[in-house]
Amino acid sequence: MLQKLEEVKKEFDSEIDSVASMPDMAQFKADYIGKKGRLSALMGGMRDLSVEDKKTFGARANEVKQEMIAAVEKRSQAIELEAINAKLEKNRQDISWTDRITDKGQQAAGLHPLTKVTRELEDLFLSMGFDILDGPHIEDEYHNFEALNIPESHPARDMQDTFWFKDKKHLLRTHTSNLQIRGMETHKPPFKFVGPGKVFRCETLDASHEAAFHQLEGMMVGRDISVPHMIHFLRTLLSEIFKSELKVRLRPGFFPFVEPGFELDYECLLCGGKGCSVCKQVGWVEALGCGMVHPNVLRGGGIDPNEFNGFAFGLGIDRLTMMRYRIDDVRHLHSGNLQFSEQFRTY
Amino acid sequence: MKISLDWIKDFVELPELSPQEMGVRFTLSTCEVEGVEETNAHMEQVSVVEITKIEAHPEADKLRLVSFETGSGERRVVCGAPNVAPGMKVPFAPIGTTLPGGFTLEPKKIRGVMSEGMLCAEDELGLSDDHAGLMELPADAPVGKSLAEYLELKRDVLLDIDNKSITHRPDLWGHYGMAREFSAAFGKPLAKPFDEAWIEKMRGLYNDETPPVSVTVDEGTACLGFCGLSVDGVSIKSSPVWMQQRLTACGMRPINNIVDISNYVMLELGMPNHIFDRDTVRGGRIIVRDMGKDGTFTTLDEMERKMIAADTMVCDAEGPSSIGGIMGGLTSSVKDETNRVFIEVANWKPERIRHTSTRLGLRTDASQRYEKSLDSHQIERTVLRILELLLESCPEAKVVGSLVSDKVQLKPPLIIDLTLERVNSILGTTLEQSEVIRILESLEYKIDAQGDVMKVTVPSYRATKDVEVDADLIEDVGRIYGFDKLIPLAPHNEITVTSLSPAKIMERRIQDFMVLRGRALEIYSYPLTGARLLEQADWSVMNEGLVLANALSPETDRMRPSLVPSLLEKASLNQKFHSKYRLFELGRSYLENEKNFSEDRHQLGIIYFDKNESPFMDVLNLMGDLLESLSLKAQIQPPNPKFANPVVASDWTGRHPHEFLDVRVMGKICGFIGTIHPLMCSKFKIKGNLVMAVLDMTDFMDRPVKDKTKYKPLPKFPGATFDCTVVAETNTPAADVLGVLKKVKLKELEDVRIVDVYPLSESQKTVTLRSWLLDRDKTLAPDFLKEAENKIVAALDKAGYPLKQG
Ligand SMILES: [Zn+2]
Repeated sequence: MLQKLEEVKKEFDSEIDSVASMPDMAQFKADYIGKKGRLSALMGGMRDLSVEDKKTFGARANEVKQEMIAAVEKRSQAIELEAINAKLEKNRQDISWTDRITDKGQQAAGLHPLTKVTRELEDLFLSMGFDILDGPHIEDEYHNFEALNIPESHPARDMQDTFWFKDKKHLLRTHTSNLQIRGMETHKPPFKFVGPGKVFRCETLDASHEAAFHQLEGMMVGRDISVPHMIHFLRTLLSEIFKSELKVRLRPGFFPFVEPGFELDYECLLCGGKGCSVCKQVGWVEALGCGMVHPNVLRGGGIDPNEFNGFAFGLGIDRLTMMRYRIDDVRHLHSGNLQFSEQFRTY
Repeated sequence: MKISLDWIKDFVELPELSPQEMGVRFTLSTCEVEGVEETNAHMEQVSVVEITKIEAHPEADKLRLVSFETGSGERRVVCGAPNVAPGMKVPFAPIGTTLPGGFTLEPKKIRGVMSEGMLCAEDELGLSDDHAGLMELPADAPVGKSLAEYLELKRDVLLDIDNKSITHRPDLWGHYGMAREFSAAFGKPLAKPFDEAWIEKMRGLYNDETPPVSVTVDEGTACLGFCGLSVDGVSIKSSPVWMQQRLTACGMRPINNIVDISNYVMLELGMPNHIFDRDTVRGGRIIVRDMGKDGTFTTLDEMERKMIAADTMVCDAEGPSSIGGIMGGLTSSVKDETNRVFIEVANWKPERIRHTSTRLGLRTDASQRYEKSLDSHQIERTVLRILELLLESCPEAKVVGSLVSDKVQLKPPLIIDLTLERVNSILGTTLEQSEVIRILESLEYKIDAQGDVMKVTVPSYRATKDVEVDADLIEDVGRIYGFDKLIPLAPHNEITVTSLSPAKIMERRIQDFMVLRGRALEIYSYPLTGARLLEQADWSVMNEGLVLANALSPETDRMRPSLVPSLLEKASLNQKFHSKYRLFELGRSYLENEKNFSEDRHQLGIIYFDKNESPFMDVLNLMGDLLESLSLKAQIQPPNPKFANPVVASDWTGRHPHEFLDVRVMGKICGFIGTIHPLMCSKFKIKGNLVMAVLDMTDFMDRPVKDKTKYKPLPKFPGATFDCTVVAETNTPAADVLGVLKKVKLKELEDVRIVDVYPLSESQKTVTLRSWLLDRDKTLAPDFLKEAENKIVAALDKAGYPLKQG
């Protein structure tokens, strides 16, 4: 009997892997371990055995049954998986065919390079406790010139080829310095603010000259502010912008609304000051104009220059952007050409 | 402007620095040196040689082998010049010479024959543009002598100064003023050859004769004083080589001794002047007066200029002879036979000169100096320096009478109080008072120290505009002390909280939304536009009040009244490269405003373009999401003839008859979404579906974006859904059908949506609607549900949307 049991088990083991479907499996299961299956039949003949043999056979028969149940379970799962996978295989899609390799027209999306650089500057100044201001592009003479210590007779009015409106009183702001005046109207010292924005100069256009471009004006007014404070601040600022410890130098520069006035240069990052084509062999690159706010400007803004003083600076955002991305022609910035814009894609 | 260091050395001794170092030092202390140029260094190597023998080149017909005597042995070169002849004296540049073109002569074989240098033409030496042949030197030129020595050519270093960096410094428009800066910057004494004692000595040449020319300056003209001196017995000839060299170096063409002296003194003292042929002064009178009426005047460059009544002219008894402070006339200039001259030195009002010269488009050496506010104290000094050089050139000449002048006003000296404490607090230095005084004195300030206060007398040539307050003095102290010596210091900082303004936050949210949700690229288009584009876009607002007086071109002659025309232009441009694209701009447009002249409008413009399928619904859904994300109370609705859309005219050609909706924010219409009418598209050669949306944010962008979330606890009891399909006319908007359910009065009705729309026949369609029912306090009873469903169906039926049968 025991031998028969082992034969049935052997047969079971040899056949189970060839069962290929769930209905076949149900049949197979019934054949072996069903109520009328071969195992039951064998167990039915147990009563003829001796007590001793009954015990041995019963234990073994139970063991075999448990093994068979487990094997059927395992094989059933495998059959189910095969069936699902066969279905998945049928519905297989080409996952290499992404949008990126498909012609669906323009897919890229992103911000304009000037927006990117302006935001970076704004965030930098915010982190240093500066307010961010905005102001009108169409200005009056007062905010663009007079209040900035540039009276009508001043030759500096020539330096900034101004776009005038026909009333000869209004103009397109030639610098963001009008924000100094507008900022003083809304802030009480001590204060510090910056203002980025579009400015306009009546210049003939070429690859490096635009009639509409962007500046960022900054002003910090408080008590006992000195030129060394300004140098420290601007050096920190530029080092942060260029992500590199910079060397800076001041040289006299003329802006009527500051006194003393300076041009601030930084040591060329490309050649380390030895001279190259980027720095025009000078070793230094012009970064921004700056200076201590002229007492007349403070006074015009209702601030007593004997109590408060401060510094102001202005930097060109377009030039910074062009340097950052090595943009070859300033006219691309306002072109509205997506072939240009999509290079600055976010994704 | 070019500055000759050789000239500077007339007044101050310069340290031994390379030309480049000199440029850097001067840039750091005074003004921007844009370039440094060394002249005549090669002339010390080039020497006079005499040609001895000419042979044919064995391999080239046009070349010859020329042998010559250098004074220290015979040499031979290969030469192609047509005018070589034995016995001729010519300049020879040996191997190693660097010529003005920048190239250095090296030993080389020309067609197989060794050439030991080069015989030069005038252009190769930088003497002229002449390249006709070798420069022929006089027969008596001594062989072996360097050309520098023979032609008295001095080696010089020229600094090219950026004129913009000295706009505020009228005193730096001449070499003497520059020399003063070198003296202060390098701590070397400044020679003072034109001091008061010299003036006194020169005045000794005035005499009692009646001046042959009188001078009158009318009230109210551009003139700030006019002086003149008559000199007889001059003769016209060439200037000495040293003067010609200096003028050439500074970019002036030598003409004759009189013109050259005039220019030389302007370049030396910074004061423009004019030397007339006195015989051309009709009536022996000079009157400075305004034109009085419009007219024309021919300047010495033979151009006829249109003058207006308010232009000030220098006239004689008969009429104008020059435009005051700008340019002389054709008739008054010196001629070869001129014998008697009149030296004119005047000063002019900067703004008047600027106006006239800008209007005439005529910026001269004189006008650009007068624009800077010159010092009337320099008038007589300038006359006398001209006289000195005139007498050097023509020793036989003599002064007739004395200086004639009118309206010359000498301002009293400007005195500014300065304290040491103020200097040190601004510069962050610990300078001693003596050091500050030393620096200021080196710039010819006079200091009277009274305790803590230094009474600083400003030299007249700095007091015309440049120096006004103590900050100006502190700048002078700082730059001569050296700004590079200042040690950077962290500012003491108050702790302040800052955040972006609501407008900035809104702009950033919009930009991020458009990139991440709208999948669009940001562009900047031009804020200036022209009538042509506005007309092409059929835009009715032409912004005539915002037209520029000095536009660069008709295409950019005014401020744009809207983003729409710019966007159409960009849409047209980009469809050439993409069959489908999405772009947006956050830009300004500008409108006329009676009270404030103009107003800047902040607009968002969106363009979706698709050659094949209409992206209208994409833009509509996008705008809905955008407005919600900005927490704005807004509606998007069909236009209503009772309410005009201020962003786009009601009769604009670009409006689509159906696909056009107004955007209303906080009760005010401030934008639109629309498919651009094919007619407008064709005007811009756009082939495809172009959808545009514009949102004018000006009126609400200053409001903070508020988080209006109102949290509700999650429902504790299950809800139910009910779907029903009704029949509607094909043209009925699905939203109208849904609208019926929105009005059903049933508090358990949480939400209603359209599931599907399906065509039934030509004229009818079915709309399947889903209703969500929920009671937050209990499970919905089957009876209640039945009742609610009947209510919904009845409402639809009553509105004309019967339940679909079968
Ligand atoms: Zn470099």
